[in-house]
Amino acid sequence: MIETIKLRKDFKEKTVVEDVDLYLDKGESVGLLGPNGAGKSTTISMISSLLKPTSGDVKLNGESVVKHPSELRKVLGVVPQEIALYQELTAYENLKFFGRIYRVPKDKLETRIQTTLKLVGLKDRQKDRIKTFSGGMKRRINIASALLHHPKVLILDEPTVGIDPQSRNYILEMIRQLNEQSGTTILYTSHYMEEVEQLCDRVYIMDHGKVIASGSQSELLSILSNEDTMRVQLNQMSHSLVKAIQEIDVIRQVEETGDGIKIIAKKSTNLISNLVKLADQQNIKILNFQMENPSLEDVFLHLTGRTLRD
Amino acid sequence: MLTFLMKDLLLFWRDRKEVLTVILLPLVLVVVLSISMAGLFDENQSDNYDLALSLVMEDHQSKAIEEFKASVHQSDRIPDNGKQEVIAGVEEHPPVESLMDFLTSPELENWLTVETMSKGEAKERIENGESNAMLLIPEGYTAQLLKNIYLDQGTAPSLQFSAKETAVEVDMIHDVIDGFLEQLNLQYVVSMSGGEVSMNQVEHPEGGTEVVDNDHSFSLTMDQYFALSIGALFVLFMASTVASRTGIEKREHTFNRIALTNTPGLHFLFGKTCATFVLSLLQILLIFIGSHLILGVFSERSFTFWMGMIFMASVYALAIAGLSSIMTSVSLRLKNPDAADGIFMTILMVFGTIGGNFIPIYVLPNWLQQIGEWTPNGLTLAILIEWLQFEDVSTLWLPAIRLLGLTLIAIGVSTMLYPRRGEIS
Ligand SMILES: Nc1ncnc2c1ncn2[C@@H]1O[C@H](COP(=O)(O)OP(=O)(O)O)[C@@H](O)[C@H]1O
Ligand SMILES: [Mg+2]
Repeated sequence: MIETIKLRKDFKEKTVVEDVDLYLDKGESVGLLGPNGAGKSTTISMISSLLKPTSGDVKLNGESVVKHPSELRKVLGVVPQEIALYQELTAYENLKFFGRIYRVPKDKLETRIQTTLKLVGLKDRQKDRIKTFSGGMKRRINIASALLHHPKVLILDEPTVGIDPQSRNYILEMIRQLNEQSGTTILYTSHYMEEVEQLCDRVYIMDHGKVIASGSQSELLSILSNEDTMRVQLNQMSHSLVKAIQEIDVIRQVEETGDGIKIIAKKSTNLISNLVKLADQQNIKILNFQMENPSLEDVFLHLTGRTLRD
Repeated sequence: MLTFLMKDLLLFWRDRKEVLTVILLPLVLVVVLSISMAGLFDENQSDNYDLALSLVMEDHQSKAIEEFKASVHQSDRIPDNGKQEVIAGVEEHPPVESLMDFLTSPELENWLTVETMSKGEAKERIENGESNAMLLIPEGYTAQLLKNIYLDQGTAPSLQFSAKETAVEVDMIHDVIDGFLEQLNLQYVVSMSGGEVSMNQVEHPEGGTEVVDNDHSFSLTMDQYFALSIGALFVLFMASTVASRTGIEKREHTFNRIALTNTPGLHFLFGKTCATFVLSLLQILLIFIGSHLILGVFSERSFTFWMGMIFMASVYALAIAGLSSIMTSVSLRLKNPDAADGIFMTILMVFGTIGGNFIPIYVLPNWLQQIGEWTPNGLTLAILIEWLQFEDVSTLWLPAIRLLGLTLIAIGVSTMLYPRRGEIS
């Protein structure tokens, strides 16, 4: 339905988005995962025709959007990363204004506003000004404002940043409903991999302006199929032990956790016995030992050597 | 576009602080300034004056006229058929008596009290400050005057006018007398040359006081001046008040959200322009009406007067809307909205200054005054002052067309400056 072709954006000399190819099929829920500054928002701005790409194109059903954005705008809803609302107006007034400029037919606008308010669970607060709302409530109205024209495609840019877990779950559930019940195509941007894992059929992982991996979750996780992740609980912490473990040639990454270490290593037969031997030498006891299912976080770590929150 | 207009008006209304600043502050200023300046500039209000003039009469008018008659009869300068006319004229309006009549006429009576006394007494009074000025009509004044005018003999005599110190009051009396004498001389000369103007027609030399009127702008009171200049000034700032919301909309990203829709970008711009027009018009009318209700600034003015005020206010509001239109486009182009606000504020301060809204424009050098007349506020202020004094409809058209022209140019420029999509920083 929507695809980008070698999308690129330079700000002055700096390349922020480089050769990004991605596509959204009808009814899909796609994640765009990447750390802060990866270029996710810039990519979204180009897709939604807010920002002109330096080169490359965005296509809607095969037609270039960069030159003729109006068809796309009709079917696209964008929830920006920032709260893009009039703080001095009430929730209702905001929705009415945005509904009108999205050209929602006059006779339908009122019911749309009310159903949307109900969807985001703020029907009884509609007469209050946005500035009196909590962060979570603002986020919900921020989403509601992008839903009034019943978009076929909904792009959400980190819609859960900085809010309480309850609002976050509410929002995630809402998006799932939109995708599953209304058939809305979703592009969900986040640097929280749990959210993407929870919501998305397919994932693009971005770093430094490039898509470094993409595919379904299981496809991505299979990148790690010849690696093991394990958690080792120790009776005491020792830097020299960590150092010693890092010396083992199959080890890719050792990370100190609260009560022990987390290890990512190539699959190998004698890793465990090696670990036990090293611990013994330093008089450290291994209390518990657990193989872990890898997460997208681990995929990212594998690909970049950094964590998403870095 | 109506959607944008309603949004901007609503946003403005929500900002109570802004509403108060924009409507109440100017009203308070008009009232405070009018009241505090009233003491200082009271002199300009003829109603409140009570000036005293001591008159010292050393001339002997009737004797002089008798002698003058004899001279006329002997004169060969005046044709015989004119002689009778000249004598009749002088007898009917002897110069000194005319002056006395004028000085005690009802017109001057309410601000000028004339008392005849001896020279010594007059001097004493002036010294004590009981009298503002002294007018001495010297011995032989009438005789010399008539001879000079009709017989072309000798030099024109002069009255002696003196005061303890120069003051506006003294100048006023002096000007009144001067004006009258000029008028009187003119009449004599005219009747002498056999012109059509007869003494009877110019019996009440109103011209004398009118000259004074122009010099001192009797009809423009301080509170009126303040209402007009402060009104025009605060409305000027409405341009940046509305335009600066653009910066907020950029900062709060609502502008981006608008850009995501298919609504043409210019609707945003014209929404602001219309909002500025509506708000400026309301503002200036509220300031005028408010100062009228509080201070009675425009009391007893005609329906036409108010229509003219509303007309000029509308045209001015249009010009301000044009200005804010440009500011909106510019602030969309600038990266830093606060810098934009700063620039606009500075420009408006300059406009306010050269337009004469802070200080009377006469203080400024000539070339600046001329530029000032091209600022919407300067032009409007000048026109409103003129309208207030003369209520002459013909004075309104040209400036109105000029302001409308400025508005159209401003809207054109702002449309060109308005960033296309994807160019907004
Ligand atoms: N207008 C801009 N001018 C210059 N640099 C920018 C601009 N917008 C974003 N960037 C830079 O581009 C990079 C990517 O930003 P962004 O797309 O917001 O990342 P993300 O949304 O993934 O956190 C950042 O390093 C940011 O500083
Ligand atoms: Mg971002």
